[in-house]
Amino acid sequence: MGQALRLATELVAGVGVGGLIGWALDQLFGTAPFLMVTFLFLGGGAGIMNVVRTAKAMQGEPMPGHHLRNATDDDDED
Amino acid sequence: MISAAYAADDAHGGHGGGGTGLPDPMHQFEIQRLIDLNAFGFDASFTNSALFMVIAAALITLFALFAMRSGALVPGRMQSVAELSYEFVANMVRDNVGTSGMKYFPFIFTLFMFVLVLNMLGMVPYSFTVTSHIIVTFALAAFVFIGVTLIGFWKHGIGFLKFFVPSGVPFVMLPLLVVIEVISYLTRPVSLSVRLFANMMAGHTMLKVFGSFVVALGLLGGWAALAFMVAFTGLEILVAFLQAYVFAILTCIYLNDALHMH
Repeated sequence: MGQALRLATELVAGVGVGGLIGWALDQLFGTAPFLMVTFLFLGGGAGIMNVVRTAKAMQGEPMPGHHLRNATDDDDED
Repeated sequence: MISAAYAADDAHGGHGGGGTGLPDPMHQFEIQRLIDLNAFGFDASFTNSALFMVIAAALITLFALFAMRSGALVPGRMQSVAELSYEFVANMVRDNVGTSGMKYFPFIFTLFMFVLVLNMLGMVPYSFTVTSHIIVTFALAAFVFIGVTLIGFWKHGIGFLKFFVPSGVPFVMLPLLVVIEVISYLTRPVSLSVRLFANMMAGHTMLKVFGSFVVALGLLGGWAALAFMVAFTGLEILVAFLQAYVFAILTCIYLNDALHMH
């Protein structure tokens, strides 16, 4: 349950923060709903990216925090 | 300082659950003013939430001072616990940030112990769970986020912006991906705070709901709910520890990103 909740949080946070940024920029430039719509989608993209990254980290390392000790020269993580 | 931020988050919980006879499961999260304070037009009242933060801070300090009072070479029971918690956090920082991160160990240790003790205090009946309020967890997460970003710019100067440019991407895609990376970076404090807050609030609401089932089902059917309550209380203690651990380890990972940029 913890892992599922974590992934769900990542996705919702992406969309939420994206929408918030878009709304704030709309208020700033007075371009009512256009920037908010654009940033909602961008935020969705960021959320999906976060989910994929988190899921990859979950698969690769069941216990986070043991990657530096074993493989220091492994640069292609995340 | 934090107390000023959430004290305005006024009491919204109801009293008793509108005629159904079951107690309101959200009533436990209600903020109550204990001492009314007004600082420069801000409502900075000393609330039950602030009280439990003070209790937590005092407990941690007293525990550390009491456990290490003798400083024996062969530790006693209390000193073992103190040394264990030190080693636990120290290894976490070393594994995730490297030895260069040990400079920030005092902060991570304070953060971990504070969240852990607040979560554990919430498990005591009739107590108040400070971490079940998003404004508290968000203040902690925002502090971590701003601090880590400042460390990143301080270490790498303007070059820290390269953190937002993914490598091996066609040039035309870069503007889009940089925006997405920036949004993804900005979601960190949100997901960090929502995770702790949601876990604590969901758990305590569940406890309360099943607790009221025990009473409502009475002597005949209440035992099943009671058995579940016992198991779920154990799980909640695990969650209380795990969420403090996750909060601290994610702080370490973010710190590692800022220090080493990868």
